[in-house]
Amino acid sequence: MINVSNLRKSFHTVEALRGISFNIQQGECYGLLGPNGAGKTTTISILSGILPTDGGELRINGHDLKKDPLTCKSQIGVVPQEIGFYHELSAFDNLLFWGSLYQVPKRQLMRRIDAMMDLLGLAERKNDKVKAYSGGMKRRVNIASALLHNPQVLLMDEPTVGIDPQSRNLIFEVVERLRDDGMTVIYTTHYLEEAERLCDRIGIIDNGEIITQGTLAALKASHSVEESVVISFAHVSDEQESAITREWKNFQRIDDCIHFHSMDIQSDLAAIILMCNRAGMHIEHIDMRKMNLEFLFLNLTGKQLRDP
Amino acid sequence: MIKLVRKDLKLFLGNKQDVLMGFALPIVFITLFASVFGNMQGSAEGNSSGLVHVVAGTSVMMVLLSVAGIGGGLLNEKEEGMLKKLLCSPLPAHHILWGKVVIAMMIAVAQLSVMCIYAMLVFGLDVISHLTSLLVLFLAIAFCCSSFGVFIASISKSRQQVQGLSTLIIFIMSGIGGSMIPVFVMPGWMQSMAVFSVNYWGVQGFYDIFLHSIPLGGIPFLSKVFVLTGIGLLLNVIAQLLFKRNILKIV
Repeated sequence: MINVSNLRKSFHTVEALRGISFNIQQGECYGLLGPNGAGKTTTISILSGILPTDGGELRINGHDLKKDPLTCKSQIGVVPQEIGFYHELSAFDNLLFWGSLYQVPKRQLMRRIDAMMDLLGLAERKNDKVKAYSGGMKRRVNIASALLHNPQVLLMDEPTVGIDPQSRNLIFEVVERLRDDGMTVIYTTHYLEEAERLCDRIGIIDNGEIITQGTLAALKASHSVEESVVISFAHVSDEQESAITREWKNFQRIDDCIHFHSMDIQSDLAAIILMCNRAGMHIEHIDMRKMNLEFLFLNLTGKQLRDP
Repeated sequence: MIKLVRKDLKLFLGNKQDVLMGFALPIVFITLFASVFGNMQGSAEGNSSGLVHVVAGTSVMMVLLSVAGIGGGLLNEKEEGMLKKLLCSPLPAHHILWGKVVIAMMIAVAQLSVMCIYAMLVFGLDVISHLTSLLVLFLAIAFCCSSFGVFIASISKSRQQVQGLSTLIIFIMSGIGGSMIPVFVMPGWMQSMAVFSVNYWGVQGFYDIFLHSIPLGGIPFLSKVFVLTGIGLLLNVIAQLLFKRNILKIV
C-alpha cells in the first residue's frame, strides 16, 4: 500500500531525513517511533503531499506521489499535530467543510459525519462551536475530519499529545477498529505504550534515519535485549548469594536487592522465585523489568526516548 | 473554491464585529461627513460634490480596511493549522489564495452597494441613473482592494503584522489618494503622489460617474477601471508568487 524508498529531505544545512525506506501492507498499522526532531513529522508531511522531497521515491497504492499528488491525496486522511479548525464554526460545520474538499456527495457526507461523531463520542455536542470543546474533544474531531472521505491510508502525527486519559483511550479504540477494518495506518508517537498497543510493526527513527524496524517480537529477538526482575529481600547473606551463583550466572547484587537478567523473564520468573526459596531468602518485593521499546531505543541509540 | 468562499462567508457573517466594522462604521462616517459637507455645489445633475467626495473617499478606505482583514485570515489559518489541512486535501494550492480574493470581492461589492444605497436614500445621491457604471467601478475597486489584501498577507509573517502594516499603508494611501481630503486642494507634490494609491483611482472613478457624468464607455472612466484592474492584477501575481514562497513554508 505504501512504498517509501530512500527518502531524503534537508532544511538548509540540517538533514531531516537521510534516505529512509519502508513498505507498509494494506491493513497494517505502522508505528514511527522516535524523539522530538527525529524526522517523524517531516516524514508525515512528505507522505501528506505538502512537503516536497529532495530525493527518493514514494508510492501510495501504486501512485507516484510526485507525479500524481491529487490522486494520492484523495486516498489519504491526515491527522496533523495541530488542531486545524475554525473555532467560530460548529464541529458539524467544520466537518461539512473539510469533507466537502474531498468531493464526498453531500448526503453521504452527512451520514459519515453522524457516524464519525458517534464513533468518537461527540454526537451530542456536534452543533456546539469548536471553541467550546476541550482539548481531547478537539483531538477527536481532528480524527473525524480525516476519516470523512473513507481514506485507504490514515496518517496520524502524534494524535494524543496533551489530552485526557479518557480521550486517549477512545482514540486507541478507534485506531484499533480502523486497523481491524483494513485501513492502513501510519502512527507517529514518542509514547512507547501507544506503539506497543496499536502497531503491527514499528520503525525506530532517530536523526532522520530508521535505525531498525519490525514487529516488537522480531525487534526483541534480533537485538538480544535482556529483561530483568529486581527482587528485594529482607536480608541477603554471602552464603545465600553463593547458592544463587551456583544456579544463576547472570545477576547483579546491590545490597539486599538482586537484579536477575534473562532473555525471557516471563518464562524464567517462576524458576528464579523457587531458587530464592531454596536458598532460604525472604522476598519483600518483586519488580519486573520486561523488554519494551524504551529499553530497546536506549539500547540502540544510547538516548532516552522522551525529552527530560 | 466555492466551498472555501462559502466557509469564509459563513465565518464573516458569524463575526458580529467584522459585520459592524464593515457596514455600520462606514455608514456612521458617511452620515457625519455628509451632514457637514453634503451641501457643497456639484454637478449639473445636482449631485453635491461634497456628498460624492464623502461617499467615494469613505467607501474605498473602508473597503480596503475590511479586505485587509480577510487577507490576514490566511495567516490565521497558517498559525492555527487550517492551512496545513487545506494543503493535505486534494484542493490545488492556488485555489486557497483565489478563494480569499473572491470572498473579499463579494464583501467589498456588498459594502460599496450598501454605502451608495444609504447615500441615495438619506442624502439623495443619484445612484439609479448610473447603475451599470457603478457596478463596473465596484468590481474594479473590489478586485484591486482584494488583491491588496492578499498581497499584504503574502508579505507578512503574522496576523499582527498584517494589521499593523495594512493600517499604516491604508491610512497613507487614503491621505494622499483623496479619501480624507479632496486631491484638488492638496499641494502639487501630493497630487503627483496620489496616483500611486488605490484610493485615488477609485475616488476619481466616482467623480467621473457622479460629477463629470462620463458614460460607461467614456475613455476617462474606463482608464480608471483599467488602472484599478491592472494594479489588482499586478498585486495578485506578486501575492501568488510570495504565497508559494512564504505562506506555504509550513513545516
